[in-house]
Amino acid sequence: MISITGLRKSFGAATVLNGIDLEIRQGEVVSVLGSSGSGKSTLIRCINGLEKIDAGKITVDGFDVSKPRELSEARKRSGTVFQLFNLYPHMTAVQNVALAPIEVLKLPRMQAEAEARELLHSVGLTERADAYPSQLSGGQRQRVGICRALAMKPSYLLLDEVTSALDPEMTSEVLSILAALAKTGTTMVFVTHEIEFARSISSRIAFLDKGQLIADLPTEEFFSATGMALPRVAQFLSKMRKD
Amino acid sequence: MKFDLSILAKHIPFLLEGAWLTLQACTLAVLGSLVLGLAIGAMRTSASPLLNRLAAVYIDIFRNIPFIVQLFFFYFGLPEIGIYIDAFTTGVVALSIAGGAFTSDVIRSGILAIDPGVIEAAQVSGLRKITIFRKIILPIALRASVRPLGSVFINLILTSSILSTITLNELTGSAKIVASNTFRPFEVYFVLLVAYAALTYSVSILIGMLHRYLNRHQEEGAV
Ligand SMILES: Nc1ncnc2c1ncn2[C@@H]1O[C@H](COP(=O)(O)OP(=O)(O)OP(=O)(O)O)[C@@H](O)[C@H]1O
Ligand SMILES: [Mg+2]
Repeated sequence: MISITGLRKSFGAATVLNGIDLEIRQGEVVSVLGSSGSGKSTLIRCINGLEKIDAGKITVDGFDVSKPRELSEARKRSGTVFQLFNLYPHMTAVQNVALAPIEVLKLPRMQAEAEARELLHSVGLTERADAYPSQLSGGQRQRVGICRALAMKPSYLLLDEVTSALDPEMTSEVLSILAALAKTGTTMVFVTHEIEFARSISSRIAFLDKGQLIADLPTEEFFSATGMALPRVAQFLSKMRKD
Repeated sequence: MKFDLSILAKHIPFLLEGAWLTLQACTLAVLGSLVLGLAIGAMRTSASPLLNRLAAVYIDIFRNIPFIVQLFFFYFGLPEIGIYIDAFTTGVVALSIAGGAFTSDVIRSGILAIDPGVIEAAQVSGLRKITIFRKIILPIALRASVRPLGSVFINLILTSSILSTITLNELTGSAKIVASNTFRPFEVYFVLLVAYAALTYSVSILIGMLHRYLNRHQEEGAV
């Protein structure tokens, strides 16, 4: 379980997350929605320890991410997929995927690379396994990014707008992989602007507004009268649907 | 007096010995300055203010003092306080230290130019700091630094001629001797000029090849 209680985060004078309580249990797919600047990326970056939190507590399977010793355990349990892929440019797809299993899990290189090839095969990149990131399309790069996160066999997958740098065709190739992952029970925290997709794969929707979690509802409730009763949610959804 | 290179024929073995010494000194100094540059460059980008400051001071000192003064200090100054080092070692060490100030600056820019997102990806995947440095930061920074490092190394080769001032008969030192023995400075220094040009030109060709090889995957047009 990822457990977030009383999370506060400021950048200088600006409070970006203002008292967040959120739990993500094994097997759930939680989509985090909210308008630009509402703090979604910051929330993800707090969970994986890229940002120091100012108050509150975040634990991943009981490991406190604010404690340096526990952070590495917490990080072993969650994988992050980034908006801009952030692949290692000097390594091939296989090397990108196998690096952490070799260095962190201490798998033998042969085994790690074999598993990496299998993962790449599962996302349709059998032929591109030995290509460098610069030789791949955006959609292919993001599929490598997903494999890299999955290679650590994480209990939780954190995804921050993983398709927003992609064109529609590439977006759908990445989304179909995520849909398959959701079906197989991978726990995901999914930050997105793809409302309809979020609706189709999520068990719950968390809605951030100016650093506060103003809704945390089962998906169908969120998209029904219960969600619409919240003015900010209604406003957000109508704006997103227009775009 | 006419231009006649043939009179140098019998001095060629002596000049070659000098060239060999230059080659040895430069190879060692290139390696030394690279190792120092990596250490200082890493310190310069480290989160520790103390390491950072120390590295900055090192770079400032050795880039702002004429090389010949550094060299004289090591070779003529240190014996005064009981430290004796032979000319060759002094030369290599001095070149490495001075070169290191420049290579560390190149490596520092190489490190700073790395997309922070790439490093964050390595952090969240649970890699230890030292592993991130070895497997991600260093290889990316070095690939980006090949060309500017090449110019530093070429400068280092040119600067190595100054080692002749501490009795080291490397290429320039031996040329001086031949010039004064033959009274033919024009021919001797003409040969010297060609030799240095050939040396630095081959190094720059090598650097270009190394750059293309290490960055081969970035040049095949990105999709
Ligand atoms: N490193 C930082 N330094 C200062 N301010 C920051 C930093 N990171 C984020 N912010 C600010 O925090 C607020 C929330 O940013 P965040 O990136 O979390 O929003 P978001 O919900 O992910 O937005 P988007 O949908 O545009 O990605 C923004 O106002 C942003 O400017
Ligand atoms: Mg964001």
